[in-house]
Amino acid sequence: MNTTSLSALEIARRVRAGELSALQVLEEHLAQVAAVDGIPGQLDPPALDAREEQKVHAFIQVTAELARQQAEQVEAKVARGEDPGPLAGVPVSIKDIFCVQGTTTTAGSRILYNFRPPYTATTVERLEQAGALILGKTNLDEFTYGSSSESSAFQPHPNNPWNTQHVTGGSSGGSAAAVAARETPLSLGTDTGGSIRQPSAFCGVVGLKPTYGRTSRYGLIAFGSSLDCPGPLARNVSDAALMLQVLAGADPKDSTSATQPVPDYLAALAEGVRGLRIGISPDYDHIAYPDTETGEMGIQAIQPEMNQAVREVAQVLASLGAEIVENVPMPNARHGIPTYFVISRVEAASNLHRFDGVKYGYRTQKPVHDLTELYRVTRAEGFGLQPKLRILMGMYVSAAAHSAHYYQKALRVRSLIRADFEQAFDPTGPYRLDALLTPTTPTTAFRRKEVLGDSVLMQYSDQMTVGANHAGIPAISIPAGLDPQGLPIGVQFFGNDFCEDLILRVAYAYEQATELAAWRHVVPQALRAAEVK
Amino acid sequence: MLPEKITREMFDKLVSLAALELDEEESEYLRTELNHQLAAVKELSEIPIDEDVQPSLHGIDCQGNPPRPDEWQPFPDPDAILALAPERERRYFVVPEIAQLSEEGQ
Amino acid sequence: MTQYEIVVGLETHIQLNTETKIFCSCKADSWGAEPNTNICPVCSGLPGVLPVLNAEAVQKAALLAAAMHAEINPISYFDRKNYFYPDLPKGYQITQFDEPIGKGGYLDVHMPDGSTRRVHIHKLHLEEDAGKTKIEAGRRLVDFNRCGVPLVEMVTEPELHSGEEAAQYLTELRQLLRWIGVSEADMERGHLRCDANVSIREAGSTVLNTKTEIKNMNSIESIRQAITLEAQRQIAAVEAGERVESYTLDWDADTGTLRKMRSKETEADYRYFREPDLLPVKLSEEEIKYIKSIFVEPGEVTPPQPSHDLKSKDISFGVSISKPTLTQIESPYNRKMRFIAEYQLSTYDADILTSERSLSDYFEEAVRLSSAAPKTVSNWMMNDLLRLMNDLGKSASELRLRPTDLAEIIGLVESGKISPATGKALLKKVEESGQKPAEIVAAEGLGLIGDEDALRSQIAAVLSESPNEVASFRAGKESLLGWFVGQVMRRTGGKADPKRTRELLLEMLKK
Repeated sequence: MNTTSLSALEIARRVRAGELSALQVLEEHLAQVAAVDGIPGQLDPPALDAREEQKVHAFIQVTAELARQQAEQVEAKVARGEDPGPLAGVPVSIKDIFCVQGTTTTAGSRILYNFRPPYTATTVERLEQAGALILGKTNLDEFTYGSSSESSAFQPHPNNPWNTQHVTGGSSGGSAAAVAARETPLSLGTDTGGSIRQPSAFCGVVGLKPTYGRTSRYGLIAFGSSLDCPGPLARNVSDAALMLQVLAGADPKDSTSATQPVPDYLAALAEGVRGLRIGISPDYDHIAYPDTETGEMGIQAIQPEMNQAVREVAQVLASLGAEIVENVPMPNARHGIPTYFVISRVEAASNLHRFDGVKYGYRTQKPVHDLTELYRVTRAEGFGLQPKLRILMGMYVSAAAHSAHYYQKALRVRSLIRADFEQAFDPTGPYRLDALLTPTTPTTAFRRKEVLGDSVLMQYSDQMTVGANHAGIPAISIPAGLDPQGLPIGVQFFGNDFCEDLILRVAYAYEQATELAAWRHVVPQALRAAEVK
Repeated sequence: MLPEKITREMFDKLVSLAALELDEEESEYLRTELNHQLAAVKELSEIPIDEDVQPSLHGIDCQGNPPRPDEWQPFPDPDAILALAPERERRYFVVPEIAQLSEEGQ
Repeated sequence: MTQYEIVVGLETHIQLNTETKIFCSCKADSWGAEPNTNICPVCSGLPGVLPVLNAEAVQKAALLAAAMHAEINPISYFDRKNYFYPDLPKGYQITQFDEPIGKGGYLDVHMPDGSTRRVHIHKLHLEEDAGKTKIEAGRRLVDFNRCGVPLVEMVTEPELHSGEEAAQYLTELRQLLRWIGVSEADMERGHLRCDANVSIREAGSTVLNTKTEIKNMNSIESIRQAITLEAQRQIAAVEAGERVESYTLDWDADTGTLRKMRSKETEADYRYFREPDLLPVKLSEEEIKYIKSIFVEPGEVTPPQPSHDLKSKDISFGVSISKPTLTQIESPYNRKMRFIAEYQLSTYDADILTSERSLSDYFEEAVRLSSAAPKTVSNWMMNDLLRLMNDLGKSASELRLRPTDLAEIIGLVESGKISPATGKALLKKVEESGQKPAEIVAAEGLGLIGDEDALRSQIAAVLSESPNEVASFRAGKESLLGWFVGQVMRRTGGKADPKRTRELLLEMLKK
């Protein structure tokens, strides 16, 4: 049996027991990459033929040598009878927003095309220490700005393995695609407005955004510093739990990282949902969408399969003994995207100030007369449209004359969004939820280029996910079926602060109860095309 | 009274402050998108909000780590940082001079 | 003739003497280091890294706030100040904008004319230093060694009225900074930086007119000169019917002139917002009370315990409030006044002995241990100990010769066991060897010969060798007594007890 069809848990178990060689695991996964991925994302790609169009293109860089060294170390430890770690021999891909010494870290941008960081992100270090094999850096929206991974400066951008004419979602699109296409069982992504959960939903995999601060941001190239969360993508819930266990915990290099104790995420996984209270909110069965000329907000229906999936998941959980609590009000959900437009852009614009061609990365080759021109031309040439858009928006809404109106107000609306969740989870409140169940996205994966030019429409893809980023709470997206086009549908569970174990447990119960569902055994198009067993 | 839309003039100024420069096509596209986004955030100003609602800097009540002890821990490889420089001389990062100052001088 | 009043406000940046930078663990002091050797990913603005606050920087800032009688804010915040400049690697500076660690405050400055002026500061805040750049062949060379060093910024109200007053403020500020151990405050090394805002108005007016800003003054004397010069320039301009324009001026110490740098830009929009990578700076009520309690007001509490071994590290709070209260700190001025009153020192002596904290602690400890009068101890320190310290380049706390040793030496001289000259020489011997004074005296036989028989035999030898002088003395030339004493001294290598020698000589000469 090819190890690409094994779960991470199973690979680790067998490697640790000496039943499976880490090097074999590595070679089989590299072969999978070679079979399905096609050419990696690059700055000056060649024209693509029809065959390449069917490829996944999850990666910017495959780090085979690095992974081989790691596999050898795992083997050596196993041979010596030493503990090789909980992820021994498990191939992991890393979103190219994480600094990893020994690789280039591009953030999907020309401005960092040659950046080789002299340090490694804490989350990646922990994976390495756990015995994981770092297989490569996955493609993403440039600087994580986007919900389709199309905006990367490294093309071709990733394609959805279920239908390569459709997007993976973003910004952790390469990560979601790599997992869905069995290139790695695990991937490390980031979630700022939904960037783990939305592509996970589009690609039919499990994606978890932990509580803010649960995983360290050290080494993660920042987008929205008060919103960014590193987290796992996996093909099943227990793998996600296993990876979270390795990642979670305080880091002295990150002042905002949480010192709350880390529970055992695997231990309680199978405890079931009997007696748990799972809420459903009418504010999450549609989206509030603005008229982009007048700003007038209107209601827009979401794809009907999404609400249907929520119903079906609720039914399954109810049959397992959970209590479904209907009509949980989340009145401030509708403000999620406007608030996000302001807060994330202010932080992003500031975080991008340091990319100026002085210290590292891209510097323009054109002759310049002075420093100001150096800054302008370098940034103009180095940044794509999405970073430029975020910089301009961020600067506008934080300008002294506008700050109170936009930025300060948005920070206060954020409190309102948080208050909705606090009320929902309050153990002495009216709802006393253990989890809140919603669709993950308003639609399934849209077609390539369909949304890219419309920045508002693109952002609204995150309307259901963004609330967790504002409130700081954890949330998980899991597959819940396929739509009539055969594209994955995802549902989401929100949880209370640091209650990742609870939402993992709920997700696991649903997953186990539907193990035999037909849709779980459909093979994604890209895998069929490659005819890999 | 805040402007309803960003004019071309305001936009160009913003671009300059952002240390960017854009061609005509990019400018028009980005300005349009910017105005769409401003329309989308317009509703924020209309949300009624109590005086005592505080701004949230991080959604959760971020306790985080305490400040660190004052102990020297040199970075093991400062040369690796210097090696990243697009232009360097001896041990310095090199940039062109700032126009304003070199012109005004005396 | 219109009388003009000069109006001066000072903006000071104080480099804290912590071990490490404010947001990373590189060294705070890298004076003399090769460029870009004292850097790490955090202070050189690499992507993905995060600032981590230095606890000691907070403690020192709080201590300074208390010393400046400022209100210490139990919660203060860091903000980002966004702008582009090559010495600012992140493209923003982390500073405190609207909720600083200290609010209000003042320093009582003792002016040369004997008056005391209370100079107020608006606030006191923490921020990180930028790197250094220099121009070479039309390009800028950038060094990040200094980037991230912790600074405290204090801006005075426009309450100073001359270059002299500004110089006096800085002199007392510098003394205070060293006194409480938060900064070395060496202006030449940039530990204390000062820009001056200068304007003029008609005497008696309270209006604030257009001001110019003077930068690049690297010594207190420069500040005095530059402000005086600029005030003169403004007065001359106004008298000639011109307007004073708002300029930034660069002081050239070599030529003693001011040069226009650029017109003061319209205030740039720094788009301040709360730094999301850092948490609010919190000081508990107990911590604040403790910090404030360190400062002793005149008339309060008894003389403090010796603090010459105290490093600011010893004052650590937030960790264990149950630690016993360490040294209480009197302000330099209060201590000077107390020395004059309690020890009957002259103003001059008290000035010198309180110029530096470890020196004044040393003095007080020596007084405590010595049975001699404080004035005697003061003389020993002012004349001999200070010279030794200068020669060796050591501060009082760095000497191996401790107050107890000094007290012992003074005691040996006072009781006649050694001559004053021996005593002075002993200072250096103890310092070099680390041995106790009594040990050295015994080992080298430095004790004065007070034994009568020994003296008599020495005297007899001198008298027999100098018959002419003996005859002259007996004939009436009594001034030769001193010469005889000198001869005895020569014979005994200076060890004869001068007093006893004199007595015995007289006795034996008169026979």
